[in-house]
Amino acid sequence: MGFKVNFSKRNTEQFYLPGQEIKISRGILAAKSYTTESDNVLTCRKRTIVSLCAFAFLYAVLAVKVSYVCLGQGISFDPAITEQADIDIIRFKNPVKRADIMDRNGEIIATSLPTVNLYANTKQVRHAKDVAEKLNYIFPDVSYERFLSLLNRKGAFIYLKRNLSPAQQSQVNALGIPGLEFETCEQRIYPHKNLFSHVLGKTNIDNEGISGIEQYMNERLTTSTKPLYLSVDLGIQNTIRDELLAGVKQFNAAGAAAILMDVANGHIVAMSSVPDFDPNENIKADERAMFNFATKGIYEAGSVFKVFNTALSLESGKVKTTDRFDTSHPVFVGRLRVTDPHGSHGRLTPEDILVESSNIGSTLEIMQVGKKYQRKFLQSINMDKALDEFELPEIAKPQFLSEKRWGDVSMATISYGYGISSSPLHIITAFSSIINGGMYHQPSLLNDGAHQGKRVVSQKTSESMRTLLRAVVTRGTGKRANVDGYQVIGKTGTADKLENGRYNHKKSMATFISAFPESNPKYALIVVMDDPKASKDTFGYTTAGWNAVPVSKNIITAVAPQLNIKVDFDLEKQKNIVNAAYKR
Amino acid sequence: MGNIRKTIWILGLFMFTMMIALGSSFLKNRVQVLERRLAAINTDIQKDIADIHVLNAEWSHRNTPDRLRKLAYEQLSLEKAKPEQIINYSALQFNYENEKSGRAAVSNKKNLTTLVKAEVKKK
Repeated sequence: MGFKVNFSKRNTEQFYLPGQEIKISRGILAAKSYTTESDNVLTCRKRTIVSLCAFAFLYAVLAVKVSYVCLGQGISFDPAITEQADIDIIRFKNPVKRADIMDRNGEIIATSLPTVNLYANTKQVRHAKDVAEKLNYIFPDVSYERFLSLLNRKGAFIYLKRNLSPAQQSQVNALGIPGLEFETCEQRIYPHKNLFSHVLGKTNIDNEGISGIEQYMNERLTTSTKPLYLSVDLGIQNTIRDELLAGVKQFNAAGAAAILMDVANGHIVAMSSVPDFDPNENIKADERAMFNFATKGIYEAGSVFKVFNTALSLESGKVKTTDRFDTSHPVFVGRLRVTDPHGSHGRLTPEDILVESSNIGSTLEIMQVGKKYQRKFLQSINMDKALDEFELPEIAKPQFLSEKRWGDVSMATISYGYGISSSPLHIITAFSSIINGGMYHQPSLLNDGAHQGKRVVSQKTSESMRTLLRAVVTRGTGKRANVDGYQVIGKTGTADKLENGRYNHKKSMATFISAFPESNPKYALIVVMDDPKASKDTFGYTTAGWNAVPVSKNIITAVAPQLNIKVDFDLEKQKNIVNAAYKR
Repeated sequence: MGNIRKTIWILGLFMFTMMIALGSSFLKNRVQVLERRLAAINTDIQKDIADIHVLNAEWSHRNTPDRLRKLAYEQLSLEKAKPEQIINYSALQFNYENEKSGRAAVSNKKNLTTLVKAEVKKK
């Protein structure tokens, strides 16, 4: 008698019935390692479910990720995050890679324009003669023969013409000649032409800086498209260059240079050296025009050095403003006989020595101080080394004597400006430190805040020097620079030109260094004239007082109102001016 | 019951898969549209930047000090500022900063003349 037991389907899967075949499942994804039945359909179903689960899981992950992207980061109420996200997705290519250069007021003084170069894949160009003729018609500045020789060369990339205008590009396109291609590039433009030529320098055809700030700041200009701001001022620069050119013409000089410096921080507000060149032109200008005399020209400045001599004498404490020096006789220092070109002046104070520009007086002053102190002081105002931190590659190393050669004779000649050669940039930077309260600031062309200065003379010495230098303008060789109301201070210097190791007495370098206003100097100006000629207007003189000084006066008169410096007339005079203006 | 539940579960998963697939397809399409639009915007921006460079250069070229000086002289009869044209407040015959309208005070010639006369008398 057999018996029958009813098992549910689920229960039958939990054990084997007698006689039932045991099958081992080798499927990796099988839920169990064995099955009770050889049911392929069931196996298939299970695998389908597992696959579905796996896909569902993957899609779920995707869905979560998409939701996260859409709802998590995509919608944000934080303005900073939104802005960042916007910046991330905007990926345009700036067609111009070289940054603009601006003056201190944000006026563009150098910029780049997107342009194209025309090149030829000569393998594809057929009928070279026809093509050359057509191209010559579009570009009359390039000869037919030139185009033909270029097209006859073998190569896949041969430049035919650089920097095409949009109209020229369109004309070449319209020709439809196979093998003529365009390459996108940029062209450096200097909208003010010669005005900043020596400051900016220029770039080559590959847009690499080859001189001036273009060369010195090449890396900065090519790695960031943010404009580079300089300390120079477009309007002031224009005024100074105009006055320099007028001065060169009037005095028939070989050249001239001028620098206007902010004495509080060493920033260069304007710097010009004429003759100059147009950096837009690819033609190489003559050597003199390419030479930046303001920073690279070294020369013996003559009596301008008496400013430093007097300052160091006062600073040493061995000379006082009330001291008197007998200049009635020549002074002998070793074999050197020091005389004054304008005859004897009697007993002079340091102020009179500057006013009369006495070589004897300067020598007597330095003899009290000594050569060691003199050398050390001149080193402290960087008269012995190149101003490496200045942002131009065209800088000069002054000719400074070694300690061995710095004898008593050198000490004497250096006191009145012979024996040391330096650049106008060296002189104006040192001069600024003497009159600005005693702080030496490295000169700079970048508008990036004040550089840390170092003290070279005391406040008291600086104040005394301002008073002494004012006297030079009111009753000395700088009279012609006495701009009414601006209290100009300054010192002239005329030195024979050194040519092939010998002094040429017929040629001179005339310098006037000045600052204004006396009470609180804000700007220092140096004007150097190279070989000015005598004329009727100058009564046959070629000294600085007759050429560099009037040019400086014209510059100060023109730029001081631009620099918003108020005149210091007495109140009554100002009231009369106002009254006259209202009655008009 | 078991079969029905399984069927529902499979159908659910299928629906879910389809939704994800459709959603992905829709999303891809939208992204492609937006990318095309973005590319167009970027091209426009690039072109605008190039145009701005050209305009800036032209603006700078047209604003050379020599040209402006010439135009100012020809059109407005303006000349270079002279030193005496920049004066201190103290030289003015009224308290410029405290006046409601400095120009109004300037126009009052009588007041100005009286003040000047008084100043002269004092001295």
